[in-house]
Amino acid sequence: MNYFFQQLNREWRFMLRQKYILILLTCTFLISSFSVLSGLNEISQQQQTLERLKAADTVDREAAQKKHHDPGSIAYYSFHLTSSAPSNLAFAALGERDIYPWKHRIKMLALEGQIYESDTQNAELAQAGKIDFVFVLSALSPLLIILLFHDLYASERTSGRHDLLVTTAKSSWALWGARGAIRFISLLLCLMVPFYFGAWLSGTNLSNVVMVSFWSVIYLIFWTILSVYWGKNASSAPRVASGLIGIWVLFAFIIPILGDLTINKLVHSPEGGDIVLTQREAVNDAWDIPKETTMDAFIASYPEWKDHVAMESEFEWKWYYAFQQVGDQTAAPLSQAYRDAAHKKYQLAGIASLLSPPLLLQRVLTRLANTDAVAAFQYEQQIRDFHERLRLFYYPFLFTQQKLGETQLATMPSFEKLTQIQKAELNSNIDTSQ
Amino acid sequence: MSQNNLSKIIIVAKDEWRYWLRSKLAISVMAIGLLLTLSSVIVTSINMMELSHARHELQEDAEETFVEQPDRHPHRMVHYGHYAFRTPAPLSILDPGIDAYTGNSIFLEGHRQNSAMFADQKQGTALTQLGSLTPAFIVQTLAPLLLILIGYSSVSRERESQTLTYLLSQGTSGNTLILGKGLALLSVIGLILAPLAVAALISLHDGESITAVLAFILGYGLYLSVWALLVLLFSSALSKNSESFTALAFVWILLCVVMPRVASTTAATSVPAAGKLETDFAVIAELRKLGDGHNAADPAFDKLKAELLEKYNVDSIDQLPVNYRGIIASAAEAELTHVLNEFAEQRMQTELSQIHVSRQFGWLSPMVAIRSLSMLVVGTSIETHHRFLREAEALRFEFVQALNKVHVEKLSYQDDMNRNKDAAATQKARVSAENWQVLEDFNFEVDKAKQRMQRSLAAFLQLLLWIVLLVVAIRTIGKRLI
Amino acid sequence: MVTTDLSNALIKADSLCVSIKNKSILKNLSFHVDTGEIYALLGGNGAGKSTTLKTLLGFNTPSSGSVTIEGKEVNQALNFVRGKTAYLPESATLYSHLTARENVNYFLSLADIKKTDDEINQAFDRVALQADARDRHMQTYSKGMRQKTAIALAILREAPIFLLDEPTSGLDPVAIDEFNQLVRELASTGATILMVTHDVYGACQVANRIGLLRDGELVGEFAAAENSRIDTEQVHAAFAQRGTA
Repeated sequence: MNYFFQQLNREWRFMLRQKYILILLTCTFLISSFSVLSGLNEISQQQQTLERLKAADTVDREAAQKKHHDPGSIAYYSFHLTSSAPSNLAFAALGERDIYPWKHRIKMLALEGQIYESDTQNAELAQAGKIDFVFVLSALSPLLIILLFHDLYASERTSGRHDLLVTTAKSSWALWGARGAIRFISLLLCLMVPFYFGAWLSGTNLSNVVMVSFWSVIYLIFWTILSVYWGKNASSAPRVASGLIGIWVLFAFIIPILGDLTINKLVHSPEGGDIVLTQREAVNDAWDIPKETTMDAFIASYPEWKDHVAMESEFEWKWYYAFQQVGDQTAAPLSQAYRDAAHKKYQLAGIASLLSPPLLLQRVLTRLANTDAVAAFQYEQQIRDFHERLRLFYYPFLFTQQKLGETQLATMPSFEKLTQIQKAELNSNIDTSQ
Repeated sequence: MSQNNLSKIIIVAKDEWRYWLRSKLAISVMAIGLLLTLSSVIVTSINMMELSHARHELQEDAEETFVEQPDRHPHRMVHYGHYAFRTPAPLSILDPGIDAYTGNSIFLEGHRQNSAMFADQKQGTALTQLGSLTPAFIVQTLAPLLLILIGYSSVSRERESQTLTYLLSQGTSGNTLILGKGLALLSVIGLILAPLAVAALISLHDGESITAVLAFILGYGLYLSVWALLVLLFSSALSKNSESFTALAFVWILLCVVMPRVASTTAATSVPAAGKLETDFAVIAELRKLGDGHNAADPAFDKLKAELLEKYNVDSIDQLPVNYRGIIASAAEAELTHVLNEFAEQRMQTELSQIHVSRQFGWLSPMVAIRSLSMLVVGTSIETHHRFLREAEALRFEFVQALNKVHVEKLSYQDDMNRNKDAAATQKARVSAENWQVLEDFNFEVDKAKQRMQRSLAAFLQLLLWIVLLVVAIRTIGKRLI
Repeated sequence: MVTTDLSNALIKADSLCVSIKNKSILKNLSFHVDTGEIYALLGGNGAGKSTTLKTLLGFNTPSSGSVTIEGKEVNQALNFVRGKTAYLPESATLYSHLTARENVNYFLSLADIKKTDDEINQAFDRVALQADARDRHMQTYSKGMRQKTAIALAILREAPIFLLDEPTSGLDPVAIDEFNQLVRELASTGATILMVTHDVYGACQVANRIGLLRDGELVGEFAAAENSRIDTEQVHAAFAQRGTA
């Protein structure tokens, strides 16, 4: 053991004398820190935004409910905030939260007309992409490893030291092993220390930290072995690095781009615009077709109200909300196909990313942080579930003229409660399956 | 420059080409680079042309269906709404810019400013986060790498094999040598840009101005020249091939991979933008003061009511010769739009100040400079999108108010008030479908070339500054070349 | 020809054949070096000198025949062999961003050998490396100084066998003299020295025996008589035969 540390100690001191490695490591540390700090900042902004929105949302809804008294108007003027709060790992993997919305305000009108509204950030910034820890790790660290390791052998060969080193060293592990290990450990620390700091600040649970560390180490080892192996017999360092950077370009750009082209050819998705168009036509046509047609379509899905569909006036809220629902039902197959296509694309992208380590890592880590497309899909489903509960809450008041007073309003479903229940159900399912 | 010197430069450049043609690495790098550029130009051109065609058609469809609606209550048409599609700029076949990141259609309806929906990225595979097969990405990010791979050893190689001393002792000056190597790299740049230039010239056919096309090609030429100069600088300044390569690779990582993202992250951090949802609350608060246009009895309209009664010299609103509900709707829409526009304008200003911050990084990274330059010249930047939002909003306001005018003039107040009494009354509270001819043709076009040039001026200056500084540095080194 | 008891030989190549990339470089090469001997393998460019040295260091695998050090097959006892030999590469490039002392310390640590500062200074004294240069970065060193450092390192490793690759190429005459003296001194203290060189005069100056290598074969051996040098003229004549052969 002592011998082992001696080797590491020697190579550590040796590395400290190599300026370009120190510059490289310093830059790594700075970039990693920058990514973590900006990630922390972004997440704290998101949380603050959610806090402000929640407060404003409650005030706004209460005002609407005070101002209006009949169930139809209350439903029409009450917005409900839905949101998907960032996880405690999100600071490291901002994921696709800049593309998919993580907050929506919906009301009881046809959902298909509301759910595609997006409240995303500056498109030009989104196009440039953000620098988060996952980006630093998956895209940048391979390049840093290539720069650190490609000339492990080649530089000694070109300067004529290789044979002397090998014949002098007691074992090749004492030399290349220790030298490689020191570089690897240093790079690992420069990358990970900012992450651990961020994890500590944002209270990331230990299992996530362990998982991120695990995947990071595996990933970095992969690139290290590749770089070392690639350069094992070469004597021209630039040639080794060119090859390695070529592999990186292949993994990071070419394979994903080809995968993207193939998947988009394979999976046909309905145009999003068609969903909205269908829904809008259905809703607007309802005004011109016999009320019975709408009501029939409605009670086909909700037979429990079949005795309450008779209308006394040309406008009644129950009919209004019934045709909103029928609008959604008309668009449902398209909307489902649209979502199915998105799911299918995500799945196929998973297969494509098996060929591209950087994307695979991004996928694994954003899944862990719950900031990927799956999280966005889940959130969308939660909105749909919530919208349904909301409708089911209002229907009795709309169809049977029950009084909607303060006591009843207090039992109105809230998105927050719904997601808590779902989470609890999910956990109990996991418990029972174990 | 003397004739003699010029011919020497050409000899050096030719020699460099001979070296490349004999080096497997250089040949394969060039072949791959050309292949990537070509395929990106073809794929993106086809894509964007299809998109452009599709959006034109959708726009026409939307106008047709609107006009074809049956007799209705005019306010129903206000809610029926209309669509505006952003057709891409002709040059976007080379740089789609933010096209995939913003929705490209907006649903226009009364009382609301919807955001653009269905950004392509959301229905994407998320595979292209690091880069996409667009000519812009390939030339901005990968072409510099290509120049590095084939050029890193241009001067350092001569030094390492000690031919440099030989060349210098034969009377070739350091600057001549560097100029020759630079000329060779310039010819490679020409090769990379050729497919781009051809595609850009084709866009002339789609009505793009020649100024924009030339500026586009010039911009990329300047950008790649910056990289050629960087390659020459490091290759001349560092004594070993491997040092030159490592340094250049590192510079590439910093300038092309790290900087653009640092720029956008810094911008988002230093200028926080409230989301639309958040400003909506402020809008709602503002609007509550204005009154609900659906509710003619809203006390907020009392003043307007009094003015109307006085103007027409009548006692009650049923005696008015015009439809009071329509007037309220129209007045409410005007005020509401005023408020909405104010907030929309604020939001756009915030976005612009964010972009302003991120574009300043162009002084630090030529990649950031060319990125802005390219999108600005092409007309796929945030500014053009903002103009689309404004034009769509103008379209919205225009048709909503036109419908409100129909409401005021073509529908009697009595019929309107009784509209929910029975089926016959509902039928009566309608106006003829002829009135739906209020839509103006919407055809979004990219900004005037002159305006795009003005916007991209700063980015041009950034690239020029890089070039000037690098030339000075190389000349200094060239004099001391040993 | 000198006759020796071959079982005593420290370095021994026996019918050694080495091919690199299907090209036969060493053909049936046999020679031996005894304890305390200075043996020079002399040959022109491409004669197979470096390949012989690399095979002795274990970098090449013989296709047939054997090469042993202290009776052990090189490729089967690499660590043993490397512990016994100190190799001096032609260009003797140590790390230029380190000082001579740091370089020596680094390489000694690699070999897992501990030496005090005094011992290191003694070694530097022995190779006559100026005291004020010892803590300077080696960037500033002349080739002779670099070689002195490398020899000091070899001495400090206390290996009984020295393998020298073109040790005098690029040295000025004074440095060559100093070097030759040092080599003889090392041999006198019991070190065994094998050097490969193309320098006929240098080899004759310092070696006890010379093996003449041509196209991977040993074409002649010359030994010095008691208390005298090998006859340069004779070796040179043999060396120059190449053109006519």
